[in-house]
Amino acid sequence: MEIYTPNGNTGEPERSLSPPLPLLTGLSLGILDNTKPNAGVLLDRLADRLSDRVGLKIGLTETKNAALAAPTEVLNTLSKEVQVVLTGSAD
Amino acid sequence: MSLDTPEMLEIPDGTENELHELFHQRGWGDGLPIIAPTRNRVEEMLSISEGLDPDEIIATLPPRSGIATRRMIAINAVMAGCKPEHLPVLVSALRALNSPEVNLRGVNATTHCVAPLLIVHGKAAKDGHYNSGLGAFGPGNVANAATGRAVRLILHHVAGASPGIGDASTQGSPAKYSYCVAENLDSSPWGGYARSEGIDAESAVTIHCGEAPHNVHDMESSEPSRILDKVASAMTSWGQNNAPISQGEYFIALCPEHAATCASNGWSRSDIASYVFNKAIVNVGEARKAFELRAWAPWQHALKDSDTMPMTEKPENIKIFVTGGAGKHSCVIPSWGMTKSVTVPVAP
Repeated sequence: MEIYTPNGNTGEPERSLSPPLPLLTGLSLGILDNTKPNAGVLLDRLADRLSDRVGLKIGLTETKNAALAAPTEVLNTLSKEVQVVLTGSAD
Repeated sequence: MSLDTPEMLEIPDGTENELHELFHQRGWGDGLPIIAPTRNRVEEMLSISEGLDPDEIIATLPPRSGIATRRMIAINAVMAGCKPEHLPVLVSALRALNSPEVNLRGVNATTHCVAPLLIVHGKAAKDGHYNSGLGAFGPGNVANAATGRAVRLILHHVAGASPGIGDASTQGSPAKYSYCVAENLDSSPWGGYARSEGIDAESAVTIHCGEAPHNVHDMESSEPSRILDKVASAMTSWGQNNAPISQGEYFIALCPEHAATCASNGWSRSDIASYVFNKAIVNVGEARKAFELRAWAPWQHALKDSDTMPMTEKPENIKIFVTGGAGKHSCVIPSWGMTKSVTVPVAP
């Protein structure tokens, strides 16, 4: 018996990750907080650690709704103001 | 735009056990037995769309960016047990799910127990033998069960909403197996739901991404307000996402007898929505105490703790349709919150 596979092809991803940076020292770091409980605490502490260890300069913090994509203006602000962004936290 | 025909797999012995073992190994299926999507069965499913490109892209589904062609939808429809007359409903449901306002990425990926409810309206419901009467939410009807199941299989296989991978739902939901119902147009005193939403078509489908139904039991009331006070009570609990998210919709599925009681007292759909909007209210201070994370409309943030507020920001977020048979049980279907329902005409 021969059957079709049920999952098919995938389209182009809407976004792709930027290539990794070779050196973080001296770069400015932004935080994109998805406002889930404890996301800010986690991201702030991680930023502090990175600042201590590799000399990242902590810049601005922006927020977004956890269930929606970040608004364009937030992404534009981050891309103008900082070179590295920390984000990603669920409940 | 269309795509090439999808890949085929050889099942050497062709036994059901071998088929199910293959699906299990690949993480396919919903855990229940499936019907093998052979070329002949898929061609038969597609026969109702004769003249249309089977590899036309109907939807691109997140989080996997999976491409749902008409053929891919038919493959999953065969697996779910659909008949050809269900395919146009299913294709239309995928178009609705693809609407940006549904926010399918969030619906599929959230920790909440949300599942897309598919409501079938009009001629397609009759032609496809969907159940809008006794036991409309199931079980026992092929059309409702198989079409709802096919939606889930497509979300699982094509969209990648697989538990633990693209679906983070903490507890899952029985509504994630199959969630499809038909509107009982013959018993709706206000005409069809789709027309009330401005869809001028003989057949339509609605997608509402919400929780499983919350029962509303009223055996004794002859006036609308007593029934609707219970509806408002079912809408007013802290556990549902509507509590901290004010843009969330509610679907109220009235049974024919509750609908008749409302209509015979002169109440319209909007009367019902306005009434429960004003009755499904909570204390603002209690809401602030219950939720640190609140997605409220701007005006709600200005309210004092001693004020009250409705569970949703406007009466238009309360949607009413009729389904079910004899008896006096209706239900409320709360929303996931960050999503809007979509109604589209049925088109093959």
